[in-house]
Amino acid sequence: MEDMTAFTWMITLPLLASPLIYLLGRLVKQDGPIVSHWAAVIALAITWVPFVIAAKELNDSGPQTYELGMITLRLDDFGLLMAALSLGLGTLVALYSGPYMSAESGQEKYYTLLVIMIAVMMGLGCANDLFNLWVWFEGMAISSFLLVAFYHEQKPSLEAGVKYLVQSAVGSALVLLGISLVLGQTGTLVLDDIRAAAADSDILLAAGALFIIGFGVKAALVPMHTWLPDAHSQAPSGISAMLSGVVIEAGLVAMLRALGSLAGVSDSWGELLMAFGALNMLAGNLMALRQTQVKRLLAYSSLSHMGYMLLGLGVAIYAKESAGAEGGLFHMLNHGMMKGLAFLAAGALLYTLHVAAGDHSPLTISDLSGAAQRYPLTALGLSIAVLGLGGLPPLAGFMSKWQIFVAGFDTRETWIEALVVFAALNSVLSLGYYAPLVNRVYRLEPSEIVRQGKPMPVLMTVPTAVLALAIVAVGIWPDLLRWITEPAGKALLAAFGL
Amino acid sequence: MNDLEILIAGVVALMGVGLYGLLFTRNLIKVVVALQILVKGVLVAMTAAGEASGQLNLSQTLIMTVIVADTIVAVVGLAFAVQVKRLFGTLDLQALSNLRG
Repeated sequence: MEDMTAFTWMITLPLLASPLIYLLGRLVKQDGPIVSHWAAVIALAITWVPFVIAAKELNDSGPQTYELGMITLRLDDFGLLMAALSLGLGTLVALYSGPYMSAESGQEKYYTLLVIMIAVMMGLGCANDLFNLWVWFEGMAISSFLLVAFYHEQKPSLEAGVKYLVQSAVGSALVLLGISLVLGQTGTLVLDDIRAAAADSDILLAAGALFIIGFGVKAALVPMHTWLPDAHSQAPSGISAMLSGVVIEAGLVAMLRALGSLAGVSDSWGELLMAFGALNMLAGNLMALRQTQVKRLLAYSSLSHMGYMLLGLGVAIYAKESAGAEGGLFHMLNHGMMKGLAFLAAGALLYTLHVAAGDHSPLTISDLSGAAQRYPLTALGLSIAVLGLGGLPPLAGFMSKWQIFVAGFDTRETWIEALVVFAALNSVLSLGYYAPLVNRVYRLEPSEIVRQGKPMPVLMTVPTAVLALAIVAVGIWPDLLRWITEPAGKALLAAFGL
Repeated sequence: MNDLEILIAGVVALMGVGLYGLLFTRNLIKVVVALQILVKGVLVAMTAAGEASGQLNLSQTLIMTVIVADTIVAVVGLAFAVQVKRLFGTLDLQALSNLRG
């Protein structure tokens, strides 16, 4: 244990804390829920210490590795970005969940699973071989199945959980088949060794296709996305924020890691990612346009944002320039903040308007009429989030989309320029469902349901305010995140051997 | 047929049965069983891969881990099935298609 470096503590601390959180919540008779909530918040707060040390060590002396028998973990800048996203949004969600989950039974399980999920996603970013990658991936899947179906006495939540479990399980079986093919062909599972050994073979091409389909289920590539709108809309709102802001991105990170090891097998991975990106943007936006439930609308908008990320990453792999990857990863961080804020703010309104009254019906767009008059801060947060998602300057979403589009134009290829124009048009299309939401919140008279709403708890306002400030700050000074996105983009291209 | 070909035939057969089960059964417990069969087919593939590449130790370690992880998935799936039966009164997946659009 002496050899453990900061980044391994960053992963193991929450994993060690999770059983304690469960036991504390169980053993303390009266205030069990409150104790498990604060235990989770404290555990995640302490995890920031090794995170900061690991980030500093990475900055000073390059990628860190840790070996335990056959298992090797390796922290590079790409892994650090994943950890920052997971821990950052995770801490805010843990804080937020206190009042949101206050009336539910079994809260100690909720916080235990949340902390485990955050830890395994940080581990996933540090996986150095396919075996490790799959284990972390499966750990994330199992903890998220249980969290999606947390309201197990509600029919819609259970339905969403079953759909999610079956589709994910098939996806992970396909990934395993891909891993078998790679092992049979190259005799190793270490990512760098595979890249060195991989020759142009049909079997490895099939393995790459299996990775795209298998991890693509979790990353919600159209048409493997059908679990997403159900799971995101039915999960507790804090978990919706985690699913949309981090879990689908973790699926993308896993896919990129696996594909990176097969970079030499085909030249078309970049084009393939761009094609899925175009499909995701269009399908996500068109489906979001016809939604009447707020969380379902936001879930479909996650599809289209996955499309922008894929476009940036695809451009980078195709053109062998890191600008697109930096833009894509910048958008990954921004989307985590914006979609996290959107789900947390929508969840706060869902809580005060429905859940606090013991009603588990979904929050519809018409419920939000005039919400700004009664809940000005939350309404402002929701508006900043959706306008940022729609790409209005000077918010964070505009900056990262801009960087992706510029990287696309820099390739000087007509078809990529056409794709960028298509993406920009999609971005305009998305305002078609974001703008009416803001209009309804601010310009209509308060609806009956808003007038009868419960007061907004402070602990739910704080995380939304933090995220809203971050989105505006990153929009005005986009260089704030450059220290992490620029090396991460280069690390990603290095993983592809470019 | 040599050993490897027999193994590959086994993989194809098991995965075929699993996929058939996933596509054509509507009973949730049978779906969980089909998932298990699908993964078991993949595990045979992994054994074959370990044998073919001379990395049998690595593939066996991986297989043991997959069996554990996959059992947890099956347990969660069956727990959902119990809850579905309690809430919906049936295990038919047709009842679980209220979320649309």
